[in-house]
Amino acid sequence: MATRSILRSARLQCTRHISSSSVRCHDIVKLTSASADEMSHFNALASSWWDVNGPQRILHKMNFLRMDYINEMVKGHIKLNDNVVDDEDKVYIPPYSLDLLPKSIRTRIQQEQSARRDEILSQKKLKALDVGCGGGILAESLARLKYISSVKGIDLSTDVLEAAKLHQKLDPELSEKLQYELTAIEDLPKDEKYDLVTCFEMLEHVQYPAQVLSEVFDRVAVGGWVVLSTINRDPISWFTTIFMGEHLLRIVPVGTHTLEKYIDQQEIRNWVEGSPYQDQFAVVNARGCAYIPAYGWKFTSSADVGNYFMAIQRVK
Amino acid sequence: MFPLRRFLATTAKPLLQDVVIVGGGPAGLSLLAALKNSPTTKHLKCTLVEALKLQPVRDFGEDPPENFHNRIISLTPKSVQFMQEKSGSWDYLHQDRVKFYDNMVAYDSQDSDARIHFDASNVILDLGALSQIAAMCEVVHIQASLLQKIDALNEELPEEDQAVVIDEAKVVNIIAGNACDTIDAKSNPQTSLDWPVVTLSNGQVLQTRLLVGADGQNSPVRNYAEIESRGWSYDRFGVVGTLKLQFNDFRDIAWQRFLTTGPLAILPLPEDNATFVWSSTPELAEILVKVDEKIFPQLLNAAMTLDEVDLNYIYKMLKANPADMTVLEEIEWRTSLIPEEDLDEKFPVPISELMPGSRARFPLKFLHADTYIAPRVALVGDAAHTVHPLAGQGLNMGQTDVGLLVDALETGVDRGLDIGSTLVLEKYVATAWPNNHALMGVCDKLHKIFSTDAFPVVALRGLGLKSLNYFDVVKDIMVKAISGR
Ligand SMILES: Cc1cc2nc3c(=O)[nH]c(=O)nc-3n(C[C@H](O)[C@H](O)[C@H](O)COP(=O)(O)OP(=O)(O)OC[C@H]3O[C@@H](n4cnc5c(N)ncnc54)[C@H](O)[C@@H]3O)c2cc1C
Ligand SMILES: C[S@@+](CC[C@H](N)C(=O)[O-])C[C@H]1O[C@@H](n2cnc3c(N)ncnc32)[C@H](O)[C@@H]1O
Repeated sequence: MATRSILRSARLQCTRHISSSSVRCHDIVKLTSASADEMSHFNALASSWWDVNGPQRILHKMNFLRMDYINEMVKGHIKLNDNVVDDEDKVYIPPYSLDLLPKSIRTRIQQEQSARRDEILSQKKLKALDVGCGGGILAESLARLKYISSVKGIDLSTDVLEAAKLHQKLDPELSEKLQYELTAIEDLPKDEKYDLVTCFEMLEHVQYPAQVLSEVFDRVAVGGWVVLSTINRDPISWFTTIFMGEHLLRIVPVGTHTLEKYIDQQEIRNWVEGSPYQDQFAVVNARGCAYIPAYGWKFTSSADVGNYFMAIQRVK
Repeated sequence: MFPLRRFLATTAKPLLQDVVIVGGGPAGLSLLAALKNSPTTKHLKCTLVEALKLQPVRDFGEDPPENFHNRIISLTPKSVQFMQEKSGSWDYLHQDRVKFYDNMVAYDSQDSDARIHFDASNVILDLGALSQIAAMCEVVHIQASLLQKIDALNEELPEEDQAVVIDEAKVVNIIAGNACDTIDAKSNPQTSLDWPVVTLSNGQVLQTRLLVGADGQNSPVRNYAEIESRGWSYDRFGVVGTLKLQFNDFRDIAWQRFLTTGPLAILPLPEDNATFVWSSTPELAEILVKVDEKIFPQLLNAAMTLDEVDLNYIYKMLKANPADMTVLEEIEWRTSLIPEEDLDEKFPVPISELMPGSRARFPLKFLHADTYIAPRVALVGDAAHTVHPLAGQGLNMGQTDVGLLVDALETGVDRGLDIGSTLVLEKYVATAWPNNHALMGVCDKLHKIFSTDAFPVVALRGLGLKSLNYFDVVKDIMVKAISGR
């Protein structure tokens, strides 16, 4: 028995070795891909991706806001009383701001609404795709949500995906819901539709962002969401993300951003409205966010300055 | 046969849990109830481990004894609110064993005209309810209500989500799972769970995403996490016990007298019951626990009314002979010199009886952990801080901790984060630590002002309590500290 298990573990190590070295082929270079020098930059970061006190701490902290934003968009747009025929069973939605109500009543209504929301979400769970998943910071978080049924994370960098897969093993809760694939978005079959496609901090790193967006749109189910984040191409962005972030505060590794690739939020809106997708997709929301040293990330009042999140829904 | 079984037991895979709570005191049980009561966290797999037997606590809940237990604490309105809204255990308390009070009188031993009277009954809270200073409640009663709430929640939860309470099992060992906080994809391809592995005295092994130390002052979890706890001993002891009054006092007042040896408080319980907390020097505490149970009530009455010169004389007699019945005459005679109406109005209702065997003594300490978190570890309650009971804050601070930890975990779950990660726990320590630190500072300062016999301070204290300025400051400190506002 003992010898057999030694043999088996030796064989396991062996196959692991072979498979990992065969996977670690060259990173795939694709039409929608990040440029070669950026690719090697991310490979170098892969090993420290999950050190929450390391170079990616700022991304981990930004993930708080992303998840709040995704929750708000998905949950906030559920029709609570659809398919409810009996008026008695309808949850109360006051025609004015809840803030006007006394606290105890407000809490009751909020509890009732959120219970209904959870009920609806538990009946129809969402299938998610994270494009440019990197080390899996967002993909893991999505996979832990009760209303998500499965998450696929795709990226073009072997090393970050390896970091992502290794880290996934550290949480048994993730083993069934989360899957990573080394693939470009355009290589996923078009009939594979998702209810939520996320694309965070990636568009500013690719050469043809519009191309990536159309490939993303082609894979969204009716009623589904595209949630993305990127950075406006303005002096404030340069100042906060490149100068402050990379040089002054050293919170993001130098070389992470290049200004000419930043995309204004209005450019995305214009593109959607002038594209063949204009009837099917609607930009529902855009919101700015900023990193405030010693505080962390905070939503701002303007989506036109610095980093922003955007939520686009496929309406038909 | 036997060795094989042992082999199996030690190699058996540990049971995986989301949260393991060590300690079934008020803090640990509150956390378990609050987690299972929250729609956001109720699906987490939670196990609580307690070294002592919990059956007596359950029995108390089912059929409480007539006499009051001697570990009684005052619950701030904030803790009451936590029990109503978060842990949901408030409804399981026998309301006739809980005593709210809305008046507080504090006075000085050097000059009984130097007094503070705070009346909360005319302060209206925003909800429109009459305001209270605090509620007196037995610690075991709080634990019993929490156990009942947990049982009730379990009945509604699917089996796999039910909370597990393991008692009569001590945590004997905690080790890190294969720790690898930083994953280096190249040099460390083999990963296994970095979750702490907890071994119990009954042989069970649990491996947990988050380990919570609610395990009291000498917290084994705190030691495992190598979190330093700093502080000092006050060289003072607290003596507590339960009492019968000569008659029911309808005034709902908490009384506190500042003696040079430390403050003495008489706190109301339902009907003609009361409890006392007497902070004193080690020498005096030694006398206090030995004094004959028949003499003790009169000693308390004396300590609330007589001059300290008289008291010192009485202490000396009792030190020589703790059962010296002539002390009773001595006290009676000295008390007779105080005008009757003063006795009625300025002092608590006389104590008639000490409940047999209810006296206990404990050292007063100040201990505060440097932080409440480490990767996959959080501390709550006395494991995080031990405080001078002068302002009755020990248990209340633990309730606040639990509330804030649950908030942080709820946010973590909503955001799909790993709740054992410091990314989630940082919010807890950032909100809980500074407040506790400030509150502990207040308790410590109160102690330093009121527990000294160094002449200048005593003189200042006597003077000070009378002056309006000081009156307001002290009143403010006390009321804020005691009622948690
Ligand atoms: C005699 C006394 C009188 C007090 N009087 C007052 C008062 O008047 N007012 C006030 O506010 N506060 C008072 N306190 C303080 C108050 O009781 C505490 O603040 C409160 O009980 C703390 O609750 P806790 O749950 O954090 O810790 P505890 O109540 O100490 O509970 C810790 C639990 O952990 C268990 N445990 C420890 N190690 C292990 C292990 N290895 N495995 C399994 N289980 C373990 C213990 O058995 C215990 O049940 C008093 C304390 C004492 C000791
Ligand atoms: C700044 S990281 C962001 C990672 C992740 N979305 C996050 O925010 O945590 C950008 C990632 O996009 C990946 N990437 C760049 N171009 C890509 C493409 N065309 N398809 C898929 N992934 C791409 C990179 O490999 C890198 O991991």
